[in-house]
Amino acid sequence: MRGEGVVAGRAERADPARIAGLATRCRLVLLEMIHRAGSGHAGSSLSCTDIISVLRFGEMDWSADRSAGDVFVLSKGHAAPAWYAALIVGGDLPAEEIGTLRALDSRLQGHPDRTRLGLVDVSTGALGQGLSVAVGRAVARRLHGRDSTVYCLLGDGECQEGQVWEAFLYAGANRVSGLVAIIDHNDSQSDGAVGDILPLCPLPDKLRAFGWHVAQVDGHDHGELRDALRRREPGRPSAIIAHTRKGRLGPGRVLLDGSHSDLPSAAEYAAAVDYLETLLDTPHD
Amino acid sequence: MTERQGLAAKATSTRDWFGAALVEIAREYDHVVVVNCDLGKATRTLPFKEEFPDRFFECGIAEANAIGVAAGLAQEGFRPFVASFGHFLTGKFLEIFQTVGLNDAGVVLVGTHAGLAIGRDGPTQMGLRDVALMRTLPNVGVFQPADGAEVWQMMAHLATDRRPAYLRLCRQPQPEVHAEGYRFRFGMPHVVREGAGVVVFAMGGTVPVAVEAAGRLAADGITPTVVNVSSLPVDRTAVARLAGTHRRAVVVEDHYVVGGLADELGRIVLSLPDRPRFDVLAVPDYGQAGPPEDLYRRYGLDAAGIAAFVRETAE
Repeated sequence: MRGEGVVAGRAERADPARIAGLATRCRLVLLEMIHRAGSGHAGSSLSCTDIISVLRFGEMDWSADRSAGDVFVLSKGHAAPAWYAALIVGGDLPAEEIGTLRALDSRLQGHPDRTRLGLVDVSTGALGQGLSVAVGRAVARRLHGRDSTVYCLLGDGECQEGQVWEAFLYAGANRVSGLVAIIDHNDSQSDGAVGDILPLCPLPDKLRAFGWHVAQVDGHDHGELRDALRRREPGRPSAIIAHTRKGRLGPGRVLLDGSHSDLPSAAEYAAAVDYLETLLDTPHD
Repeated sequence: MTERQGLAAKATSTRDWFGAALVEIAREYDHVVVVNCDLGKATRTLPFKEEFPDRFFECGIAEANAIGVAAGLAQEGFRPFVASFGHFLTGKFLEIFQTVGLNDAGVVLVGTHAGLAIGRDGPTQMGLRDVALMRTLPNVGVFQPADGAEVWQMMAHLATDRRPAYLRLCRQPQPEVHAEGYRFRFGMPHVVREGAGVVVFAMGGTVPVAVEAAGRLAADGITPTVVNVSSLPVDRTAVARLAGTHRRAVVVEDHYVVGGLADELGRIVLSLPDRPRFDVLAVPDYGQAGPPEDLYRRYGLDAAGIAAFVRETAE
């Protein structure tokens, strides 16, 4: 499965139907990883699989040599399986490592660790820290005169961390360009709904007030994500609020009712695999 | 007279030496940048800002973000010095653990106002737990210079090295303790006063105080060796040799009694077959507000207190 159909020109790369197929394959890989490991955040990984697929297979200037191209910071580090799956589907990691998630001495740590896997740009896991590093990388690239983009994927619950707002404040005030924050807004965190635990609303207004360009999209619509990633304002950081569903497998189909960290049973896993394989066989619109 | 000569003419704090050395190494190395947390005056980074405004990143009173921004700059090839009071900076432990430590980002964390010397501002500003926190991170070296000569050499080392580091600096003026020609080597303890019987291990601000205490003890026929341990982790063989050639070891540190220099040295000394008696002078509580000289007297960390302890506990 590795590497198939990944190398393509920009127009072809951005084709939503092609991205949809790759995203489905990522879902199959990440579910297999979590199933074999017997642990991992399936729901959180599935909610951002489409976002990661649009970036990795479409919009990012990706290079397996991580000193070149764009930067990707997975600030919601518990969604690591979604990133590892994209690396495997993209041919950057061998499929043999699927069974090594969370295993002793594995490169595929439970949360991304760049000291063990160079294809991770920033080590994350404790929430709230990734955006600051992304800001630092963007200002460094500006100082170097290097034209590139630093993408940072955050969870919505993660936005309750104060450091996230320090970074929003800094990037807005300093008009840090070449920086895109994507918020995986699935309205679900460990103890319940974000709106019940500590609401973020009105999130777009808050980000605009901090000096960010803000877009809102359906976070499972590859075309909308692509268009929003391309529609930025010069001289400002961009935030994309991607409305998503935790545990999303496909249209109208959700694993474990969107649970944050529950594991699928063997039967639930088998049903999800059947569903995803059917999707792969069905032409996307 | 150069700025360096001017500083050398009088007792100068290591933060002042740092400010001067920072500008000098920045002239030599383009990749040296500064991340500030609204404490440029206190940490002596403002001369750098005046000369290199494009390489100075003001993050405001937001240390967690500053540490992350510095980590990002380091990942892109810069050598960021992120400066604040040591207490505030290392208080962001989880951020340092992850984005500097586990990310192996080549950030130099500069923590000023080490120990009790901030005085009347009290324990919410005192760097008394910073070494303990930083020593839990296996790839972060701890540096604390004892005088200007050592600051200058450490800064040259830190500018060219790419590993994460914690540079601990003092507010109080300190006399030069190193002889001319001293060379700093990471991890190597350095004998600043030769003696016998008792060896006193000190770090940073306590080094000149320990030297003064040794001078006072001469009248009692006690001639301690004084050792400057200016970087951690410390070389085990060198410490074992020093401890093995003395009957007593006394650690003097301007830090909480747990997690600092004494723990570091104690682990080595405990493993020696013929180990010396081992005592620790350090701060056993949260500290409190007061004039620095009163605080050092109260905690027995001034020259008189150190000398009295060594004298009164002599065999």
